[in-house]
Amino acid sequence: MRHDRLVTERYSRQIRFAPIGQAGQRKLGDAGVLVVGAGALGASLAQHMVRSGAGFVRLVDRDYVELSNLHRQTLFDEEDARAALPKAVAAAAKLRRMNGGARIEALVADVGKRNAESLLMGVDLVLDGTDNAETRLLMSDACFAHGVPFVYGGVAGSSGMSAMLVPGKHVCLRCLLGETEASDTDGGAPTCDTIGVIAPAVELIAGLQAVEAIKWLTGNFHALRDTWVSADVWNFALKEWKLPPPRESCVHCGAGRLPERLHEAVGKPHAPSADWQVEEREPQPDEEKVVVLCGRDTVQLALRPALGLPEWEKRLSSRGCEITASNAYLIRALTAEGERIVVFSDGRSLIQGAGGVERAEEIYRSYLAEEEVPR
Amino acid sequence: MNGKLDFKLYVITGENYHPGRSMLEVMEAALKGGADIVQLRDKDISKRDLLEKAKRLKDLTAKYNVPLIVNDHPDVALAIDADGVHLGQDDMPIAVARRIMGPDRIIGISTHRIEQAREAEQAGADYIGVGPVYATGTKPGRQPVTTAYVSEVAAEIRIPWVAIGGITPDNAFEVLNAGANRLCVVSAVVGSEDPEAVCRRFIALIEARDGSPNASVESKATGIFVTVNGRRSRTQASTLLELAEQYELQDRRVVAEMDGEFVPRRSWGEAPLRVGATVEFVHFVGGG
Repeated sequence: MRHDRLVTERYSRQIRFAPIGQAGQRKLGDAGVLVVGAGALGASLAQHMVRSGAGFVRLVDRDYVELSNLHRQTLFDEEDARAALPKAVAAAAKLRRMNGGARIEALVADVGKRNAESLLMGVDLVLDGTDNAETRLLMSDACFAHGVPFVYGGVAGSSGMSAMLVPGKHVCLRCLLGETEASDTDGGAPTCDTIGVIAPAVELIAGLQAVEAIKWLTGNFHALRDTWVSADVWNFALKEWKLPPPRESCVHCGAGRLPERLHEAVGKPHAPSADWQVEEREPQPDEEKVVVLCGRDTVQLALRPALGLPEWEKRLSSRGCEITASNAYLIRALTAEGERIVVFSDGRSLIQGAGGVERAEEIYRSYLAEEEVPR
Repeated sequence: MNGKLDFKLYVITGENYHPGRSMLEVMEAALKGGADIVQLRDKDISKRDLLEKAKRLKDLTAKYNVPLIVNDHPDVALAIDADGVHLGQDDMPIAVARRIMGPDRIIGISTHRIEQAREAEQAGADYIGVGPVYATGTKPGRQPVTTAYVSEVAAEIRIPWVAIGGITPDNAFEVLNAGANRLCVVSAVVGSEDPEAVCRRFIALIEARDGSPNASVESKATGIFVTVNGRRSRTQASTLLELAEQYELQDRRVVAEMDGEFVPRRSWGEAPLRVGATVEFVHFVGGG
């Protein structure tokens, strides 16, 4: 068939790589992946998946493109930053141009308890491009409950870590890291905001995550590393630690379901996981939730009531804000005092430059609340 | 001179870190917490005001029987009978300072690379500062020397030396593991709400490290040798959790490996520490 020939031609160099071959390429084309976060790691991961020929890529992110992202977030450009496009949307547009054969779904939403499991519908593997431990732990729990491998990755400074955690085979992320300290942002761990980050570190870690994903999706299970890798690209160092098996006593990994693909590997019939039709749903942020976005002096607050973007724009203008960006997904406004307010159509707002949660809430009351509170 | 100069925790004044509280109040808290050498540093005031401040601080340190070092000014140090002076690389040479200060007072100097450390040792410095290990607001714009320089000094320099620069209770274990057995701190102590408690914490961390004079006496009867982040050290811990507690890591988001295998955080309490075990603690990397 002509279509098959085109596919073979397009991926010829990848197919020629013996461990993948025609069979592996076909499996990739049938595979679905979820990329959580479309920042530095997420954008790179999504690109690896789409270019290599994964059939379906779902991308979810809560943030929008800013100039300070461009040195390391390789999918975005200055135009995206000017238009203040949500990262998921800007990324999807680029990814569609890279590979028209891939089905790409972009969701502008926060990942929380409420939607973590539904995001797994129709996917064979989850790639971690998040920037915080809390979301990672939630996704790990959901993955272990549903037998979907979770490929952790994290970067900061010139170093990073990655590990592919397979339910039924490995321990879960919650066991590896222990409980979250709610009061603490990331337990004092270095982040891109405290120590910066350089793009080569991002690309190395994204590469380590992507290669394990490709092994998995092409059925090369024996080639998986089964390790936790930590690497530094500046003071060159690479370490690999063996991943332990599930902990019997853990409710997540102790009862972890071995993924379908491993059943296939041990000769059991393949149950198609491709439940492509994801029900349409309006992602709503968790009620009453205040989230401090990692060190960027950004506080996320839920919007109440649910208004359309035009109404928000009107309200912000009438209360003295300058509208600095307006698109189908968000409105960005500048307050008289110089803080930035971003209103997303999914019912969230980001307050930037407030210097703290209290002041952010004050700004919310002044500019976004039903009853305007005089400043 | 003073061949027996020794200390664990060196605290330097930094009044801009504690607006609203007096320097004497903050330094007394540090002394109560165990600071065993103190330096007066204030580059922004007149010599007359510095002299006044130095006098009052000298009375305080004398009460705690702790040496007082004056930054930059041998004349002020002599005038108030301080125990010594601390110099920077751009200040007068050690030989000149020695002539002024005499044979018995302490002369310390900041160093930022091994050549400077060697030169200071040769020139008769009583101790050297080694840093800034991390970026610090006290010396903005100066490139951190990292723990690599700390290790270099540990391997080679025989006079007392102290690691300085951006050291906090959270990163102290890295500095100690690089070979330091004395720490010098400014903002982490004087900028804290409770300088006394922070000093105690530092002292505990320093003593927990093998080689500290007091700790080794206490632990020599029992305990085993393990290698922690590349450094051989003696410990009385019997599990990985106890070892983590010894380095005050139990509340940090840190992951651990023992003998090549990742040990889940939730299993630390049940992971026995084998004689000769190789352990590595690493900060979990969370950016994306």
